[in-house]
Amino acid sequence: MVNRLYQAAINMPLLYISAISLTLLLLVPIIIGLAGTILPAFNYLPALAHMEFGLTPWRSLLAAPELMGSIKLTLVSGLLATMISFVLAFSLVAVLYQTRWMSSIRHSLAPILAIPHAAIAIGMVFLLSPSGWIVRLLSPWLTGYERPPTWVSVQDAYGLSLVLALVVKETPFLLFVILSSLPQLKPQALLQVGASMGYPPLTVWRKVILPALYPLIRFPLLIVLAFSLTVVDLTLVIGPNSPSTFAVTLFHWFTDVDLERRFTASAGAVLLMAIILLSALAWELFYRVFIYFDRKRWGNGKRHTNAYLFFKTGAYLYLGNMGIALLSLLVLPIWAFTHRWRFPDILPSEWSLKKIQQLAPILVELACASLLIAVVSSLISIAISLVMLEQKRCCSTVTQWFDRLICWPMLLPQVGFLFGIQVFFIWSDVNGTVFAVLALHTLYVLPYVYLTLSAPYLSFNQQYYTQAICVTHSPARSYFLIKLAMLKPILWSAFALGVAVSFAQYLPTLIAGEGRINTLTTEAVALAASGDRKKVGNMAMLQALFPLLIFMLAQWLPYSWTKYRLTLKSTLKKGALKKTQPIK
Amino acid sequence: MRTPLLDLKRCQIKINSTVLLDDFSFHVNNGEVLSIMGPSGCGKSTLLGYLSGTLSHDFIATGQIELDGKPIQQLNTIKRKVGILYQSPLLFPHMTNLENLLFATPSNKNTSHKERVEMAMGKLNELGLETKAHELPEVLSGGQQARIALLRALLAEPQYLLLDEPFSKLDPELRQSVRSFTLEQIQKANIPTVLVTHDMEDAQAMQSKIITLQTQN
Repeated sequence: MVNRLYQAAINMPLLYISAISLTLLLLVPIIIGLAGTILPAFNYLPALAHMEFGLTPWRSLLAAPELMGSIKLTLVSGLLATMISFVLAFSLVAVLYQTRWMSSIRHSLAPILAIPHAAIAIGMVFLLSPSGWIVRLLSPWLTGYERPPTWVSVQDAYGLSLVLALVVKETPFLLFVILSSLPQLKPQALLQVGASMGYPPLTVWRKVILPALYPLIRFPLLIVLAFSLTVVDLTLVIGPNSPSTFAVTLFHWFTDVDLERRFTASAGAVLLMAIILLSALAWELFYRVFIYFDRKRWGNGKRHTNAYLFFKTGAYLYLGNMGIALLSLLVLPIWAFTHRWRFPDILPSEWSLKKIQQLAPILVELACASLLIAVVSSLISIAISLVMLEQKRCCSTVTQWFDRLICWPMLLPQVGFLFGIQVFFIWSDVNGTVFAVLALHTLYVLPYVYLTLSAPYLSFNQQYYTQAICVTHSPARSYFLIKLAMLKPILWSAFALGVAVSFAQYLPTLIAGEGRINTLTTEAVALAASGDRKKVGNMAMLQALFPLLIFMLAQWLPYSWTKYRLTLKSTLKKGALKKTQPIK
Repeated sequence: MRTPLLDLKRCQIKINSTVLLDDFSFHVNNGEVLSIMGPSGCGKSTLLGYLSGTLSHDFIATGQIELDGKPIQQLNTIKRKVGILYQSPLLFPHMTNLENLLFATPSNKNTSHKERVEMAMGKLNELGLETKAHELPEVLSGGQQARIALLRALLAEPQYLLLDEPFSKLDPELRQSVRSFTLEQIQKANIPTVLVTHDMEDAQAMQSKIITLQTQN
């Protein structure tokens, strides 16, 4: 009986058809995005009356004076930021593993990950610029400055502030990835085995855990590398301008009023894809060469390495990084409520709600739009993920293609890919609608939600569900009341992550919204260069605040709801008992 | 009579207010195995943690551990020179079988790299695994991995050996041969060994003294 019901529940042709349809639905934008980038790169775009293939865009790209400078800057900042982020995150784990510090840092990761990178970048500009908080904190008593100095500390030509911003944002992500992957290696046991052979912990981390860990975190590292090479919003806020990184240069070309520029930009976008591919290959080659030479050291029997200072410095730098992140977030509300803040005062001399009151109508509008897009795209992503994961649990061969395709939006450079999709949106007359914005947000939210839900959903003990079907005789009811209810905490976490990812999207909103649909992120980035710190502070504060609140809510709600439900149940029970007690 | 080399005196281990072990003592001679048996939760593995210096700070442990008459309970795991084997062989997956053995072989000024390699290869020869020297541990069977893990632990020249149910994951037919190999190696190394096990056959096959722990109420 149970078996029959259970089979009926899982052999749903609807689920199978849905899974196939969703895979195709994911494939469509990827093909369109790639075709819309690659074809114009070879001079083919019927919408602009270019019907013949040719190499003109490439000639024009190679003739662009800023090409080499921006590629060099992209490669240096992207590779350097990824390398530093990895070193800092690994060093921190190696030095502080299984200490109380690590557990506190682990708890602080979720809120930092939830905050959009543009908000942190804006905070960093407020913090690190010549008239920023750090110089104010040190002036005039240490620096002697009565006026802001003239040197450049953000948007510097070498991209150092960009590297710092990328490191601040990416290190917590890599730390999260490392901490999630470590249990597979049983590090505690490896450390004990190493210690029993006379190896101090840091040597075990260096010789044993690092080489075993790398294959587990290779893919997230490549995502970080691809992101660092292609990020636009963060670079617009804190990166150099002339030349800027290649992605930002392409962004300017794509949005140029001269539509012929689009062809050059498309050729550039294809080149950017090649740069990502070559950088990933170079990264892997570097790792292989490193391992080739390092292998000789694994078995040299030496119990001490000279990596101690390296690891400890890395760990301290991580903590310094987090200090910068924290101060960057703290300075946002300070600017939001500032009325007068002269240099070199440490804090504003006058506070005011005037600016926020002035901006209230636009802030409410932007916040509502941001929340609506984030909530809807996260819910759609959760629904798609649940369908695909349920199908994967029943028959993983059906979802193999989906599993491969899901990572593509994270690896492809948004700047070319999205402009390719835009051509399709314009053709189908949906560009500038909420539907188009939601579609693009879902495309980027879905991978994060799906990957977050995968392991907990697939490892769910299916016997609970079988038992529930046995009792309720309703697969659907059992699914919602038992399976999803038991997976409530991870569903909430996935939802919060989805909201955070959606809040951070700049290019998808800008391209699909066509300026008619704006979010806090698009406005904050657009205003970042305006110099109106109070206005930008308000935008960035709210941009950081909402994902943070939803993350906190996601942590608190599932447990509190269960607690509340139990209290309610016991109260009702007591009430019912009182009613049934005989009157003496 | 041989000198008692590993000596535990009046050991007490507590967690919160629960006493796991109280006034517990034993001694083990060179080349001898002591088996500690008992139900789950009686403190067998916790005792190994105390003996190896890896006990979690949540536990409060008192009592003297002496090695060759010298107290060692204040020393950390590295300084105790203790060999540990767990249920899982924990061969490092990214290193070849030879590299796993070389990792354990101490280096000093008098030994060249070539000599260390010869020593490790000699151990692989003993197992008939010299052809697998440059392959990863994943190609080995469970029994072969268990043997290499034991040799790796012994190559580090420990002064005593702790075995935490090392045979429990092996198939019954493999288990007997790995037990015999382990006993042979322990006697060859001539060091005191403490074995924690659920299985009486393990304890008997290792020709060991047996102490059975009870759950403290």
